[in-house]
Amino acid sequence: MLELHGITKRFGAVTALDDVSLSVRAGEVHCLLGENGAGKSTLCNVVFGVHAPDAGAMRLDDRPFRPSGPADALAAGIVMVHQHFSLVPTMTPVENLMLGPLRGRLRRDEVAARVRGLMKDYHLEVDLARPVGDMSVGERQRVEIVKCLIREPRLLVLDEPTAVLPPEEIGALLAICRRVAAGGRAVILVTHKLAEIASVADRTTVLRAGRAVESVEMARADMRSLVRSMVGRDIVLLDRTMAATLGVATAAAPHSTALPLPARECPTSSPETARRPEDALVLDGVSFRDAAGTLRLDGVTVIVRPGEIVGMAGVEGNGQSELGMILGGLARPSGGRVFVDGRELTGRPPTEITAAGVGIIPEDRQAVACIGPMSVAENLFLGRLGRFTRFGLLRRRALTAAAAELMRRFDVRGSGPDAPIAQLSGGNQQKAVLARELSVEPLAFLLAAQPTRGLDVGAVAAVYDHIRAARDRGAGILLISSELDELLTVADRILVIYRGRIIGEMAAEPGNREAIGALMSGHAA
Amino acid sequence: MSRLAARPALAPAAVIPVAATAAGLLLGAGLVAASGASVGEAIGAFWEGMFGSTFAVGASINRAVALTLVGLGFILANRANLTNVGGEGQLAVGGIASTALALHGAERLPLGLAVAAPLAGAALAGALWGALAGALKVRRGTNEVISTLLLSFIGLLMVYWAVQSEDLLRQPVTSAATLPESLEIPARTKLPTILADPSSPLHIGVLIAALASLGVGLTLGKSASGVRLRAVGLNELAARRAGIRDGRLVVAVLAVAGAFGGVAGAIMMQGELWILKAGFTSGYGFDGLVVGLLARGSAAGVVAGALLFGFLRSGGLAMEITAGVPAAVVVVTQGLIVIVIAGSAILMKGRE
Repeated sequence: MLELHGITKRFGAVTALDDVSLSVRAGEVHCLLGENGAGKSTLCNVVFGVHAPDAGAMRLDDRPFRPSGPADALAAGIVMVHQHFSLVPTMTPVENLMLGPLRGRLRRDEVAARVRGLMKDYHLEVDLARPVGDMSVGERQRVEIVKCLIREPRLLVLDEPTAVLPPEEIGALLAICRRVAAGGRAVILVTHKLAEIASVADRTTVLRAGRAVESVEMARADMRSLVRSMVGRDIVLLDRTMAATLGVATAAAPHSTALPLPARECPTSSPETARRPEDALVLDGVSFRDAAGTLRLDGVTVIVRPGEIVGMAGVEGNGQSELGMILGGLARPSGGRVFVDGRELTGRPPTEITAAGVGIIPEDRQAVACIGPMSVAENLFLGRLGRFTRFGLLRRRALTAAAAELMRRFDVRGSGPDAPIAQLSGGNQQKAVLARELSVEPLAFLLAAQPTRGLDVGAVAAVYDHIRAARDRGAGILLISSELDELLTVADRILVIYRGRIIGEMAAEPGNREAIGALMSGHAA
Repeated sequence: MSRLAARPALAPAAVIPVAATAAGLLLGAGLVAASGASVGEAIGAFWEGMFGSTFAVGASINRAVALTLVGLGFILANRANLTNVGGEGQLAVGGIASTALALHGAERLPLGLAVAAPLAGAALAGALWGALAGALKVRRGTNEVISTLLLSFIGLLMVYWAVQSEDLLRQPVTSAATLPESLEIPARTKLPTILADPSSPLHIGVLIAALASLGVGLTLGKSASGVRLRAVGLNELAARRAGIRDGRLVVAVLAVAGAFGGVAGAIMMQGELWILKAGFTSGYGFDGLVVGLLARGSAAGVVAGALLFGFLRSGGLAMEITAGVPAAVVVVTQGLIVIVIAGSAILMKGRE
């Protein structure tokens, strides 16, 4: 149906796509596999008409296809779900759907009826009465998919749709993809997780550094060879953690320093008996009520000791964001107290929290950790500019030099310390954030919230290495993640958060996977 | 995106504002003709008003001084993504404070303090006016556009009040014909002129404006505060997390912007008006805001824009007085120039 011949796309000096050819057939799920920066998103954007290729041609149904913008692609029956959703949060799904393609008089009932039809056909569960802003990420994504399907497209492009989903919703999404393809439509699915491909793809094209290195029928595919194509080395050489992030890990061995804790529930572990002055972090019954009056955190008690990594498992939206805001000093708890290294930090401002030896890797890099248009150097030292001032003026050269040194130590790759941080890839941005937060001296406690989300394999391994190194230097670490594999590989013990409460604690052993998964979905063990 | 970037720049950044000004003036000439006045005479008067004499040049530069200070305050706050539209009110409270101090006590101060004390008082009053808007924003989330604008009206009405009430700054009422205005400020509190030529009104305000421009330019371009302001303007949450005290910074930068406005008001008062009257600010606050907007964040741009507007105002006044061109035409021409410059700026942006 859609054929790409020798597509090449350059951005300045960078060649994002280099002579890529592939074909997509009606009724198939075609996976694009590759690390971040391999050119997957660029390829999608070329198909969707966002970027015009510098060389090469596309054919749609054997006719030349040269979209001059997304409008052309839409007219040709190509729709795309982007990584970042475009929905109006205060409106319901139906209202959102009426914004775009439909003109003239509002036919709310008609649209609602069509939406219900689509939901039934594709088993898409969406609450039509609720504003989109109140929905989980997965539900919002389903609204986006409905928004695409209502156009009765011929080709549905999904750019990394599973990166934002909790584990139990991934399966449902993949099933939706299969059903869409079964109806004779084509689906292009972008991912960097092999496990997903195995369960959904008809064919897979592997991109590496802008080149299509392999294109195979899944029936005949060899997982090892796919991994080799994707990362350029053999799977046996892969670090166990890297394998885990690819979703090809078999039972991961327990971490060597994992505490031999038995699986147990601890909804009422009392801080008074357990608290010690040298604890890296003590959360003592922390509660948080949001502006709308909803209780987001309900008496959360957590103790992190120096030199241990405590994992916090949970489906997103169960209070992890609020916890991160409180620990970072961006929100004041409505109840309970926070101690780091024996010092009370409840409701203190970020400067004081940083001074107390707390590093924070926020879950939302764009919103909280980085200021995109500002340079890497400025981002790295924003809170410590005073160090680079003389007679009130900033010593740019010293700042740049210090940033270059930090970038070298943390292997942050990009065009240099003075380039805007937004130009770095996600992985390098995250490494820059790590560089900043881990250079808090002396680091007593580190919060890492979803630290590897959207990162490629190499960056993930680097993030884990840095977190472990901080642990080995004696910092206590709280790792909040919705990726169970990540927690099982990195954490020493795992707490489960559900609807703002800690509902259980487990040793980080592969054998506990099922039990932790059950707790995450609210089924008490 | 890249297709557009590949195009060569249309023209150096300086050419477009000049061309836009010329186009605006041309349109203005058309309006003059339409209003029935003689275009030749009007242009003659316009030129005479701007450059015709040392007085004309000095007066034009003095006008530019006030506009520069207000414009600098605007771009400073704008770096933190704050829109200070309160220039007019800040001028007003500055003028009141300066007049009050000049009439009550400053005269007897030694050295340059007779001049400096009213200026400092005006800076303080303006800073308070700006800080109020800042505190409202930080504490209550009030949009600074609304608060600074409303504070402007309050400031303007306070001038009216001050000159209406004998308990405040009105001159002693001796007859029914006594105007509602203050006494003239004492000679020692007036800004000294800097040229030996007695016909030139050019006063030391121009030095203050030059220093302020240098200071603002360095702050925005080369200081840590400039980086912090930009960070807060781009992403308040990330800036706060990184350890910038954003609330304090917002209040501080609006206070500084207000202080600039206040000093500008004092310079107008001590430089050439000498008597506080209702409406003495006569739109300088809003013109300064336009200057700041057109400068797009550059202190040098503010100076250039302020000079342009200062000379235009002088030329316009002369046109009005000697060539009989209606005042409205002058104002419309100024507006046209602003629109053409702003429009060309958008055009340039589109090409970038």
